[in-house]
Amino acid sequence: MKTIKKITCIALVLLIAVSAVFAGGSSESSAKKTYKVGICQFVQHVALDSATQGFMDALKDALGDSVVFDNQNASGDMSTVTTIVNSLVSNKVDLILANATPPLQVAAAATGDIPILGTSVTDYETALDLKLNNGATGINISGASDLAPLDKQAQMIVELFPGVKNVGLLYCSAEPNSVYQINQMETYLMQMGIKSTRYAFTDSNDVASVTEAACKSADVLYIPTDNTAASCTEAIRNVIEPAKVPVVAGEEGICKGCGVATLTISYYDLGYTTGKMAVEVLKNGADISKMPIQYAANPIKKYNAELCSLLGVKIPSDYTAI
Amino acid sequence: MNIGSLISALPGAIAQGLIWGVMAIGVYLTYKVLDIADLTVDGTMATGGAVCVMMMLNGANLWVALLCAVLAGMIAGLVTGIFHTAMGIPAILAGILTQLSLYSINLAIMGFKANQGINVRNYHLLVSSRNVKVIGPQNPIFVMIIVTALLIGVLYWFFGREIGAALRATGSNEHMSRAQGINVNRCKIIGLMISNGIVALASALFAQYQGAVDVNMGRGGIVIGLAAVIISTVLFGKIFHNFAMKLLGVSLGAVIYYIVIQIVLWLGLNTNLLKLLSALVVAIFLAIPYWKGKLAKGAKNA
Repeated sequence: MKTIKKITCIALVLLIAVSAVFAGGSSESSAKKTYKVGICQFVQHVALDSATQGFMDALKDALGDSVVFDNQNASGDMSTVTTIVNSLVSNKVDLILANATPPLQVAAAATGDIPILGTSVTDYETALDLKLNNGATGINISGASDLAPLDKQAQMIVELFPGVKNVGLLYCSAEPNSVYQINQMETYLMQMGIKSTRYAFTDSNDVASVTEAACKSADVLYIPTDNTAASCTEAIRNVIEPAKVPVVAGEEGICKGCGVATLTISYYDLGYTTGKMAVEVLKNGADISKMPIQYAANPIKKYNAELCSLLGVKIPSDYTAI
Repeated sequence: MNIGSLISALPGAIAQGLIWGVMAIGVYLTYKVLDIADLTVDGTMATGGAVCVMMMLNGANLWVALLCAVLAGMIAGLVTGIFHTAMGIPAILAGILTQLSLYSINLAIMGFKANQGINVRNYHLLVSSRNVKVIGPQNPIFVMIIVTALLIGVLYWFFGREIGAALRATGSNEHMSRAQGINVNRCKIIGLMISNGIVALASALFAQYQGAVDVNMGRGGIVIGLAAVIISTVLFGKIFHNFAMKLLGVSLGAVIYYIVIQIVLWLGLNTNLLKLLSALVVAIFLAIPYWKGKLAKGAKNA
């Protein structure tokens, strides 16, 4: 038994030494007909899943069979993100898709050479701690932002509920994109002379109790594009429905679950836009450091017919039903 | 699925393993030496990074920021210690309470933003995943080997002193230690402070390594720490008897854990199953000594 342990120890040391030698990485043939694209998605969730699907569809439409995907999901764990990015970088993929802020940050730290495209990220400047120059980062990163037109969403709240006194801003304190959107919303509402109060929950365990507290003092609730809220829409609906407090949502998934109306962007389209940027980089050799961050186009006003009739909300004619 | 890609992914896994190895040493101090199950580490694992990154973003020197991260961790350990000794709360609950409150405190440290990036281009970082394949002094593997060696040296010196020996005695047999005149409450508090200070140091290093601090980055950290401790006990328990070598074994345990995770990814298994697989790995490592014992008993009876 002792000899086996000795051999294991020696083998481990040898493995570490050999890996240091191989650290240079294996050389690939210069003519790359197949593009290897690595995807790191932060967590399983409808909007992020749609963005990944849109991205893959765009690449498949343009490059057909000559693109191979390595699609990994970190299940919300930061340390798994680091491991996934490490394996993508060491496999020398041609492009990395970072779906959400943490993969974007970890990929940006891990490599300065492999082009990185972000998607479903709201604010690139804070995430990467840099200043955008004409919308471009100047380094190996670009992508699409899911920043929805928050001023128009604030206007939507006033349009649908003209007598509103207090808007409750419901969000998950652990999500940087939500915090950013809530900050902006608060400012826009204040400019329109409407009082707003923040109600932050830490994770899916407190959603119900925080929503209860919010319903007691707010007339209308607003939920931004928050991953945690989007996965707990049933819990939120069970609170707001008996309390008869309508919810204006930041995206369609949340609106379908518990909201009355939304000014939504399509995450699938966002992913598709990112995919088209990837094609530019891979096939047409575009310089990623000069590509400006693209924003979601064509937000659509949508409403949830069932909840609107349950809560007695009148919807103007320019809204589409979900 | 060639072996070359696995081997080229190993430096990253080793670097991550060495950083979590520092955290595992902190967990080892409370779990094995003091015999307390300290769950504060899930919170402290984000506090260290938060303090370090926010200070560096505001212009502080790297070493000052690291030192403050360690101090912040020690304060967290102090709070758990007070909950446990002065307020009589059982150790596990005390750890959970501190971990819960650290969530809000970490958010406050980060300016109520859940996530803050730090750019390796703009700041002088001690470790960065950017340099993991560079042959030179900035390679995080090299830096972490030195950090681990220094840490083990300091701890070896400390636990040889009277206070250190008192800590070990407290963990070994609390009643006997109290009978011998050792202030066991003070020892537990000091032990928790040292352990959480070390975990905060690991957190600060990990935040620099991955280029960001996230308020949830410590979640599940205790599992990784315990996995490393258990792997080291099983693999190196019979080889390493010296205290310093045991700490080294813990660090190696963390490295082995991350190498196994990297192999799992390389095998192409669904990352969604990663947590299940980690649990299975730890379970098997825990079962090995038990099965060995039963085999030995069976052989004796035959």
